[in-house]
Amino acid sequence: MNSAALSISNLRYRYPGVQSPAWTIALDTLSLARGEQMLLTAASGRGKSTLLHLIAGLIDPQEGSVSIDGQGIHGLHGPARDRFRGRHVGMIFQTFHLLHGFSAVENVMAAMMISSIPAGEHRERALGLLSRLGIDRPLAKPEELSVGQQQRVAVARALACNPVLVLADEPTASLDPENAAVAIELIKSACHERSAALLCVSHDPAMAERFERRERLGVVGNNAEAATAVRKASTL
Amino acid sequence: MALTDFTIIRRSLGSRLFATGATVVTVAVAVALLLVLLSMRESWRKAFDRGTGNMHMLVSRDASPLVALLNGVFYANPPQRAIEWAKYNQLADSFPWEFAIPVQYGDSYRGSPVLATSSEFFTAFEPVQGRRWGLASGRFFAPEFADKFEVVAGSAAAATTGMKVGDKLHVTHGASGPGGAAGHEHDEFTYEVVGVLEPSGSAHDRALFTHVTGAWVLHAQDRMERAGTLPKVEVNHAEHDENEHAHDDAAEDHGHDDEEHAHDEDDHAHGDGHAHENEHDHRAVTAADLIEADKLITGIYLRVPTRPGSDNSASIQPAFDQLRRDPSITVAQPTQQIGTLKKVVGNIEQILLAMAAAVLLSSAVSIMVALSTSMDQRRRQIAVLRVLGFSRPRVLSLVLTESALIGAMGAAIGVAVSLAGAWLVTFVMKQKLGLLIEPALSPRWLLAVFVGTTLLAALAGMVPAIMAYRTSVAKNLRPMG
Repeated sequence: MNSAALSISNLRYRYPGVQSPAWTIALDTLSLARGEQMLLTAASGRGKSTLLHLIAGLIDPQEGSVSIDGQGIHGLHGPARDRFRGRHVGMIFQTFHLLHGFSAVENVMAAMMISSIPAGEHRERALGLLSRLGIDRPLAKPEELSVGQQQRVAVARALACNPVLVLADEPTASLDPENAAVAIELIKSACHERSAALLCVSHDPAMAERFERRERLGVVGNNAEAATAVRKASTL
Repeated sequence: MALTDFTIIRRSLGSRLFATGATVVTVAVAVALLLVLLSMRESWRKAFDRGTGNMHMLVSRDASPLVALLNGVFYANPPQRAIEWAKYNQLADSFPWEFAIPVQYGDSYRGSPVLATSSEFFTAFEPVQGRRWGLASGRFFAPEFADKFEVVAGSAAAATTGMKVGDKLHVTHGASGPGGAAGHEHDEFTYEVVGVLEPSGSAHDRALFTHVTGAWVLHAQDRMERAGTLPKVEVNHAEHDENEHAHDDAAEDHGHDDEEHAHDEDDHAHGDGHAHENEHDHRAVTAADLIEADKLITGIYLRVPTRPGSDNSASIQPAFDQLRRDPSITVAQPTQQIGTLKKVVGNIEQILLAMAAAVLLSSAVSIMVALSTSMDQRRRQIAVLRVLGFSRPRVLSLVLTESALIGAMGAAIGVAVSLAGAWLVTFVMKQKLGLLIEPALSPRWLLAVFVGTTLLAALAGMVPAIMAYRTSVAKNLRPMG
């Protein structure tokens, strides 16, 4: 299997009900190799989160395609797409979105419910993952953990199913600069360790220096030919 | 151990413990109410069906067939008007009955009705169709009276009075009995408990049974006492015994016992009869002293002959019609009268059941409201589960299951409460009304109500479940605040 972790072509998306002919997202091509890490920056309101939702198959584009590990995600429908996302895509959010009422380890195990990992191994694997990410109280509820630790639990959950692609949406926006630096390094190294491609979107300029590959939404493209084909994402 | 959908449901219920608890209680109350009403309905029906047993007709001189049945089988009141023995004989001979059992209800013992009857009551009459009388202890009273005052106690009567075989008692002549005398204790005659019946689940369980001739003797005593014609002690004991034997149709081998008993009776009357003047001058009234006017009964249990194993016969209707032509008597066909009773009670039942159903429905609405309200807080969690790979149908089923689970928990508690409630109702009914009502919640009903409530709850969960199904993931993953 040598297909790209992520491959986007001619993606066009406009919010439902918007009458303007302009696209909210217009991305001609974007490709991420297995294990590759990339930062996508854009000003606030440029549709960064929407792009991630399109990639994760949570919303459908009007045009174009998104392939993850060679599988066009929008070609899948209903439960099949949800299962595919659960098994192949990990997501990290600015506000973590941990499940309340569930302990740290249960939050990680919740992600494994969709995976093909044998049920008997869930707990052990989740504990191991949390331990490697520096969580020493895996039975604590999210609200009992510090913000930095909550972020680590969220990272562990995103990696629980050994995804080919991790999508991180402003993962450090809730953290102070010092913690943000630690967090992004942690995400990068954890993804690297598991050969998961990482697509991180952020408007934080401080993040830029931490990624070798950086793109700006609106001028996306990693070669000259592609760059000419890139269409500028319109503002709403 | 891995997480399961059930873990998620449990945590969801647990995170709203108060709301969940309140909803479960609402359902439990509704289910308990419904079941208690259902139970009462079933047991009423059973109680009505029991007691008339294998009789086809009941003859009395009550005002209406329904009253005849209530008095003659359910011991509502001692009938006011009696049937003469000659009339009984005429009716008994008017048709080839399988049985024509005389019954007389007028006396009581500590609140338990005393039914004076013949021994056919035990041998031919079945209190519950297809179920003969069984004895918990002792024996039935002797087929022939022989001036021995024997009592067989119904199971409930024995239980409430604590009587057992060998106990002695005096019956009270009812205030409104056929003899017309005021209620008073017949302490001239000591009854002995010779048997205790097994429960039949019918109203007969709370009655005592004696030989009808004994009841006549009691009333003859009253008559003679009033008229001042009580028999004098004019014979020595030997002659007295002779006298006994002369009128004793009982089997000869009982003779010796009778003799002893007669002495006992005599001794008793002499030693204990302080209520009577000149007691030493009078001997106890015996069956030999009876005149036709003493021989009164209040009802006749009738059955026409049928083929073995069948309760039906083409001759029931002709026999009934024939009896009905006699204006001096009231004839009841128990099955018809019980149908009437059930109809009367049925209307009330339907209103009560409709009310219980409404309460159940409103509890379903409360589940819907509770879960729908919780959806506002749960949309984010649902969005996260969707990101983790949960499909829309799975999220829908999570909410439906949660709703059904609330229903099931409520129903389970409701079933438990209703079983206790039914027991309590039965207990109170028996104590206060003397009506033996068995808890009649068949497992099938319990299961039906349990499953029905759970399904209703699941149905109520459709609204919040569809809300969950439609939850927009993208919209609910936006940063909070």
